[in-house]
Amino acid sequence: MRRVGTAALSLLAFGVAWKLVTVIGDYPEFILPAPEVVAERAWRAIGSGILGEHTAVTLLEIVLGFAVGATTAVAIGTALGKSVLIERVLSPYIVAAQAIPILALAPLLDIWFGGGLLARVAICALIVFFPIAISTMVGIRSTDPLLAEMLRSLGATDPQRTRLLEIPSALPVIFGGLRVGVTLAVIGAVVAEWAGASVGLGVLINIANQGLFDTPLMFVALATLAIIGLTFYGLVVLVERRLISQ
Amino acid sequence: MSSQTTLRTGLDVAIRDVGVRFGAPGAGVEALAGCDLEIDGGSFTVIIGPNGCGKSTLLRLIAGLLVPTSGRVTVDGGVPRPGDGRVGLAFQQPRLIPWRSTLDNVALPLELAGVAPAERGARASEALDRVGLHDAAALRPRELSGGMAQRAALARALIGDPPVLLLDEPFSALDALTRETFDEELQHLWLERPRTVILVTHSVSEAVTLADRVVVMTPRPGRMARSVQIDLPRPRPTELIGDRRAAELAAEVRASLSASRALELRPWSEQEGAA
Repeated sequence: MRRVGTAALSLLAFGVAWKLVTVIGDYPEFILPAPEVVAERAWRAIGSGILGEHTAVTLLEIVLGFAVGATTAVAIGTALGKSVLIERVLSPYIVAAQAIPILALAPLLDIWFGGGLLARVAICALIVFFPIAISTMVGIRSTDPLLAEMLRSLGATDPQRTRLLEIPSALPVIFGGLRVGVTLAVIGAVVAEWAGASVGLGVLINIANQGLFDTPLMFVALATLAIIGLTFYGLVVLVERRLISQ
Repeated sequence: MSSQTTLRTGLDVAIRDVGVRFGAPGAGVEALAGCDLEIDGGSFTVIIGPNGCGKSTLLRLIAGLLVPTSGRVTVDGGVPRPGDGRVGLAFQQPRLIPWRSTLDNVALPLELAGVAPAERGARASEALDRVGLHDAAALRPRELSGGMAQRAALARALIGDPPVLLLDEPFSALDALTRETFDEELQHLWLERPRTVILVTHSVSEAVTLADRVVVMTPRPGRMARSVQIDLPRPRPTELIGDRRAAELAAEVRASLSASRALELRPWSEQEGAA
């Protein structure tokens, strides 16, 4: 409860500071709207159903993209960690794919994957992949060799060693990657929508910003993205606490 | 082992002309050379020697964790393979998996062998009872004292009831008093259910207290220097200081040890077997 109180207090302070800036600066609404203007706009956007419609699509992309990206990343990261040969062969491509800006890659992927939900999930999964794969690899490599020898002396097979020792001992590091990955999933979904979509919070930002010059609505979309990011991050932390009970 | 009326439950272990070399041929380290040792099934053998004489390497060979560079190691006439259920091994460190309870750590060998959860739980708590860790079943390894952790490791090594038990200085990190209790319990466990036990240690008194036979090793490269039969009646008390025969035997072991240490201190070029 104290933690919730602290968070509420910090949110309040943020709102007050924001209000102060708008009062002192006296900015026009299309540059920096006051918090109550944004709140009022959010209320209307929720009422008209427009916010819900766009949020639902983006949420689906984030969940699917993160699920696909994280699962492949843990699987490939495990292989990278266990085999130096696999790492040598694959890592240049993985690093190169990460070094190319996702913004540049997104339109291409959009064409390749047919422009629908699948394309957006693929783009989202790609950006999520890197931190989780690398942290999994590092985690697997940090397995205690004494415990590995102990398991070997008991005749453990390679899959048994991975399941009972390597993955569990890599979990704290993997979760470090998942925390980064889940916030990147939000970015991935928006970038994917910019590359070609007709609904989603990324699309809503574009409409508000360039079509309607409705800056308060853009702020509503941004705040929604922030809330989604915080919620998913919190969920990852929650699962982490559950799984790593030490 | 004519004094033993119980069934012989241990397996014979044979080490014949075994050499182990780590690293590149010609440039590596020779850990063992020309090692010969025949161990009778059901006997208690203690291997003693200075650091770096290859004692742990010897146990790894018998456990099948290591393949000799030359020669042959057999358990009951066959080449040992990890997980074949014939050999149990307790390391110098407890090596418990930190995120598992003590019970689940002890049950690990059964889990790997595909034993059903209910049965392995029951057998693991039985094994914990045997080493006096009944109350620690739910604790995590970090909540155990050093002695308790080592007991858990012993329970894990014993849970499959292996005919051969290898102990690699499992009590070396414990204080002297705890260690004596351990020695007593170990002897008791063995008398209760004789199996082939091979214990590696630095301690002469531990060796004389526990062993049917003490094998003294020399370092670099490790080989068997002497074998001393300990013909004291069992069960033996852990305080053998008053016993004249025990003192003689301890002196004999000590003499062989210092002979091998003297060898260690002699210039490398004069040592037997040096190239």
